[in-house]
Amino acid sequence: MAELVVMPRQGNTVESCVIVEWLKKEGDPIAVGDVLCSVETDKSTLDVESEQEGSLVKILRDEDDDVPVLDPIAIIGQPGEDISALIAETAEETAENAPKTEGAVEAKAKESALSGPQVGADKNGTHGVSPRARNLAAAKGVSVEQLSGSGPQGRVIERDVQAVLGSREPATPAAIAAGISAGGAVPARGSGIGGRITRGDLAASPAEESAQSSDTAAVSTETGEYEDIPVKSIRKVIAERMQASLAQTAQLTLNSSAPAESLMRWRKIYKNSDQDSGLSGISINDLVLFAVSRVVPQFPQLNAHFLGDKIRRFSDVNIGIAVDTPKGLMVPVIRAANRKSLLEISHEVKLLAEKCLSGIASPEELSGGTITVTNLGAFGIESFTPVLNAPEVAILGVNNIQLKPVLKDDETKFVPHIGLSLTIDHQAVDGAPGARFLKELGSQLGDLEKVAAL
Amino acid sequence: MKYDIIIIGSGPGGYIAAERAGAEGKKVLLIEKEEIGGVCLNWGCIPTKSLLNSAKYYHHALHGDQYGVRAEKVEFDLKTAMKWKEKTVTRLQKGVSFLMKKNKVDVVRGQARFTDRTTVAVGDEQYQSESVLIATGSSTMVPPIPGKESKNIVTSREILGIDSLPKSLVVIGGGVIGMEFASLFSTLGVEVTVVEMLDEILPMMDLGLAKTMRKSLKNISFHLGARVEKLEEGKVFFTKQGEAHELNCELVLMATGRKPNTEGLGLDEIGLDYDKKGIKTDQYMRTNVPGVYAIGDVTGKSRLAHSASRMGEVAVGHLVNPEKPKYGMFRSHAIPWAVYTLPEAAGCGITEQDAERAGLPIKTSGAQMAANGRFLAENGREVGQCKMVVHAETGVLLGVHLLGAYSSEIIHSAAAMIEAELRDVDIREIIFPHPTVSEVLRDAVWEL
Repeated sequence: MAELVVMPRQGNTVESCVIVEWLKKEGDPIAVGDVLCSVETDKSTLDVESEQEGSLVKILRDEDDDVPVLDPIAIIGQPGEDISALIAETAEETAENAPKTEGAVEAKAKESALSGPQVGADKNGTHGVSPRARNLAAAKGVSVEQLSGSGPQGRVIERDVQAVLGSREPATPAAIAAGISAGGAVPARGSGIGGRITRGDLAASPAEESAQSSDTAAVSTETGEYEDIPVKSIRKVIAERMQASLAQTAQLTLNSSAPAESLMRWRKIYKNSDQDSGLSGISINDLVLFAVSRVVPQFPQLNAHFLGDKIRRFSDVNIGIAVDTPKGLMVPVIRAANRKSLLEISHEVKLLAEKCLSGIASPEELSGGTITVTNLGAFGIESFTPVLNAPEVAILGVNNIQLKPVLKDDETKFVPHIGLSLTIDHQAVDGAPGARFLKELGSQLGDLEKVAAL
Repeated sequence: MKYDIIIIGSGPGGYIAAERAGAEGKKVLLIEKEEIGGVCLNWGCIPTKSLLNSAKYYHHALHGDQYGVRAEKVEFDLKTAMKWKEKTVTRLQKGVSFLMKKNKVDVVRGQARFTDRTTVAVGDEQYQSESVLIATGSSTMVPPIPGKESKNIVTSREILGIDSLPKSLVVIGGGVIGMEFASLFSTLGVEVTVVEMLDEILPMMDLGLAKTMRKSLKNISFHLGARVEKLEEGKVFFTKQGEAHELNCELVLMATGRKPNTEGLGLDEIGLDYDKKGIKTDQYMRTNVPGVYAIGDVTGKSRLAHSASRMGEVAVGHLVNPEKPKYGMFRSHAIPWAVYTLPEAAGCGITEQDAERAGLPIKTSGAQMAANGRFLAENGREVGQCKMVVHAETGVLLGVHLLGAYSSEIIHSAAAMIEAELRDVDIREIIFPHPTVSEVLRDAVWEL
């Protein structure tokens, strides 16, 4: 008996996932626990494992499709099994979920929902395209040859053509006549009146140009060659959060520095310690995080969320740590850092960073922070203005270590100092308490033996 | 003061943009240094239409014989015609002011100047906005002809304020402005001569129709391919095919073109990209400076009031939602134009000559308005023609050109057809009301 494979639920906040890659092909034998495909949430990449045994009879959703959780993505059954009933079921579900009145984006999702490889241009010709679908497609300029069917055995039916029409603006009579239906890329929105798709918008349109195209084409040539990178997934989340942060908070950055001799001394002691103790991996950043975890409880106004009508202060210090990954910035969270040892913090930072880099951090590991630390010291940054991870009210930027002249007993000495840049949300925290926190943190970093006692 | 949008210039680009932006709930400031409504309402489209209409009445009164109407002692009273013109303008100004109030647009009088890209100063006041629309229009461009400062040489602006008709008028420039004034004054009995540097009047018009029009304007003398060398009070000196000529006249009208109003705005201070043709913009009217848009004549893209209005809407649509601009992009292939001469002319899209220059394969057809019942009944044997240009292979409509009464009121349907990329076969399915002059379009499409 064939069974549907659905997009698994990933925590409570994830509504949909993008299929990154199918690791099995249609026809492949499947065992329980086999990884069928990898999917991506806005924060991490996960594997979808099979809970059934059999053969991958049909893949219902393509790579790059954004699929709502619990929606079917594939069918597992016995080779050659009749799955038309199951396909009809999924098509009905999708059709119900996306009534005709919904906007173009929904319709587009619906269109892709119905596309699966191997159908459409049916080679035996018996189940190819319904007459109604063919007529509608011809009248409106839709290419049925490239369309994937949602009817029995992949037959292209009228609804499939309507889905395409719903996903784009109408085409002008001339564009239809020019063989919009002959294939080639058709934009969802054209350059004509009301976004209509004109002859000039057809990618495969003949070389003869009508007068209007020169006007619109001139603009794109002004900037020379370029590449458009779609803003989606993690980049989209970062863009929205950063924009929202700057728009909705009153950011104030305070810069100071702290003597770094103690930090450097302890880093050296740990580095040279016995490999088996696990202490050798403790970095200067770990030491800063540890100090932060111990100093923040004395300044509860910094360990808070600003929620507009109220400020929520937290008892535990959940430190978000900014991690640079190929996909963009990620901020995994060390929960209750104030109750963890230096060694525990050090271990957890490394584990979370590795998970982020390989794209397998869970949504839970990437949320719940109460304050954030971001370290650009390794790049030689001397000071910067960290952007708040709203609704958090404080983010500490850690800079590089530099020599600073210090006058002591009429003598100038050069003392290494570590730069600290603290951004606070002035809506919730005033400058003075922010400055006091920085001063206290600096004094603790300058004398780490004291922190151990906190 | 902070605004969502600041608009500099209250012509048909600026005030329409202000109206649309206000209707979107945006806080709008409109800055005008002269009169609300700009050149179009005060010294252009509207006052000239008012005077041309008066001239038309005069013409019909004089030439009603064949329709069974005889009038004696027909007089043209310039003072009353001017008064009616003033009334029309004042009423429309009030209308625009009301629209601004209705859409909660603040209006400030004075010269605007950028102090930085988000700050515009008017006098001592400073106004702030992330979005600024430059809609400052254009003004008459007078080439450096010796003696251009002599007495009795006027531009289109001054000639609207004359208190008596001259005996004779020389119009320098056979473009739209020149031809409308030439037609106006010749209809009123003034001896009019047009001196044009090019080989034909109205360069945007189909060459055949332009020639027909020129020949139908029997009361106007034309000197084509003529270069004005010198001006004196009551004298115009020009050369034509190497020969020197001299014209005597009471008044000279300089209708030699227009230049974008880019001065005094502080455009260099904000690093705006512009040249003598105008401010450079993209299809959403964005300039090279973020947040600064330019619309209308000042862009040099199209010097027509309705183009300016459309550009204003495109800009507002873009700045309200850059992701999906509400009013699309600015397309310039289907801008209708009209010349309100007697007979009037109108066009939209490309001409046969444009197609030749672009190497486009085309088919053309023509139709006579005299074959049209209403036209014949009302205009008799006066000129009336339609010319249609379609793509030879696809049948897509590329241009429509009209000469004859009502042309200006018909041409919008050509704009709709070209925008919709209709083909000849599609247009044949459209029903035209009978009896109307618009049926000439239907006749032309069946002639293809």
